[in-house]
Amino acid sequence: MKAQEKRISDVKRFAGVYRCVECGKCVAVCPMSDMYVNFSIAMSPRGIIKKAIVGENVVGDENIWYCTECNAGTDVCPQGVSCRDLIHGLREIAMDDMIPANMKQCIVCHKPFVAVPVEHFVFARLSAEAPNVIRVLELCPSCRRERYMERNA
Amino acid sequence: MPPRHSYILFDPEKCTGCGTCEMVCSQRNTAKIAPSSASIQVIRDEDLGKNFAILCQHCRRPLCLEACPTRAIEKGDDGIVRINKLFCVECGLCTMACPEAAPLRDQKTRGINKCDLCDGDPLCVKHCPEKALTFTRGKAFRWIKGLRWSVQLVSFLLLVMILVGTFCYFTAGAVTLACPAGVLQNVASSKTIVLVGVSAALALLILTALAGRLFCGWVCPFGFILDLVGTIIPKKIGWPSFLKSRMTKYGVLVGAVGASSVLGYQAFCTICPIGSLCRSYGVQGVFRGAELAIVPAIASLEVAERRSWCRYFCPVGAVLGIMANARLINIVIGAKQCKKFSCTQCAEVCPVGVIDKDLLREGVSPIIPMTECIMCMRCIDRCPYGAAKINVRWRKGVPGIPEETRL
Repeated sequence: MKAQEKRISDVKRFAGVYRCVECGKCVAVCPMSDMYVNFSIAMSPRGIIKKAIVGENVVGDENIWYCTECNAGTDVCPQGVSCRDLIHGLREIAMDDMIPANMKQCIVCHKPFVAVPVEHFVFARLSAEAPNVIRVLELCPSCRRERYMERNA
Repeated sequence: MPPRHSYILFDPEKCTGCGTCEMVCSQRNTAKIAPSSASIQVIRDEDLGKNFAILCQHCRRPLCLEACPTRAIEKGDDGIVRINKLFCVECGLCTMACPEAAPLRDQKTRGINKCDLCDGDPLCVKHCPEKALTFTRGKAFRWIKGLRWSVQLVSFLLLVMILVGTFCYFTAGAVTLACPAGVLQNVASSKTIVLVGVSAALALLILTALAGRLFCGWVCPFGFILDLVGTIIPKKIGWPSFLKSRMTKYGVLVGAVGASSVLGYQAFCTICPIGSLCRSYGVQGVFRGAELAIVPAIASLEVAERRSWCRYFCPVGAVLGIMANARLINIVIGAKQCKKFSCTQCAEVCPVGVIDKDLLREGVSPIIPMTECIMCMRCIDRCPYGAAKINVRWRKGVPGIPEETRL
């Protein structure tokens, strides 16, 4: 338990959450607001950073699995806080410590490659337009390339 | 007019895996040589000595465009799919959605790079030392296409304009030809079998057994009209699924034969679109009215699907389809030769829609039912990799492979 707390504090320090001034620029550009209907302050980067600062249990929080790990919030932050690095680090800790992780696994290499809510979003977008091609979502991009190579070589 | 589909073709036989394409591409993307930030990636299998390039195909209906949460990806008027860097947040969902995994993530800077064809003049194609990459704008004119259109035009003129009342039944000296569905109805209505009529129908049936439904794709005058209408009408709206049964045409055939045996005259032939086309132009007058109204009525079905009459309803096609089951010649789309998962141009151009897109995407050769295929050879014409071929049943053995190792 001690090691896990150490890792979490390392992740927080590396992402620079203690510099956050709660300006909300990251929430303004966050693509999650368009992606999910239940977008809320708890899911937004500012909410998660605030939780991390006050020391709540952010690793067990289900809201960290909605992020697409994009670069938008990090780009606009005036204080240099990287919400992507924070979420990425927290997800790694959660997956290592067997806390129920919400990641979709590749059916070939069994490595997690995308969070389940994000995958649901892509699935919904594609099934509206092209219902027959959503099978590509079962493979991670690198496995897809390998299968591609096997087939064509 | 829709934009030309321009894309880069890749030949794995010629590729040596040198990585020149990656270098020139990264230099254009970031003004420095760093293969990780290129929009094309060569994967190399050192054990097998094989190389393969991952590159964007600039799909007609791009899936990356659908998946992008910020709508940063757009398909321009020139057919090139671009990422607008102003709106891109580098989330990587396009990489997930793409069947080729072609938008590449830079492992150092975590950015997303996608090919934009260098705005129509690709550097990778210019610099490839082995000429493994070639740029194509989608050829506008191919020789099978021209041949088919001219054969269709000539047979339309012959059957409709010059020889009066033909295809249904005509005699020129010793040669007698007749429509097989018409002969069936004739036999049913008159309850007598005339040997001349049966042998006249056999000519077309034997041709179909040998070479598939060649008649439907290349000769049929009504099919020619449908193809012409299909080039003009742009959008397909699709049928409701309960109408999409290819068995319907056999039902129409049985119904036509039964009705003509009851009524005593050839029931379907009076409203047959092919027949009314053939009879419309002759000594009695040009384009006689009420009968010909069936032609525009059925041609308007093209809005729903290409050749929808031929797919679902035509009884002549049903007779020919039964004979085409002999499969002496069949169309094969080899998944081993097909170089791209997401191309599926053969399925897009197929007028009767018998090519299974999903199987092709899985890497399995789809079996093409010759009862439905009209042998128009559009797939052979369109495939940029030569994967669609005509396979001849009686050819013994594949060259280079002993007979025993084949199944």
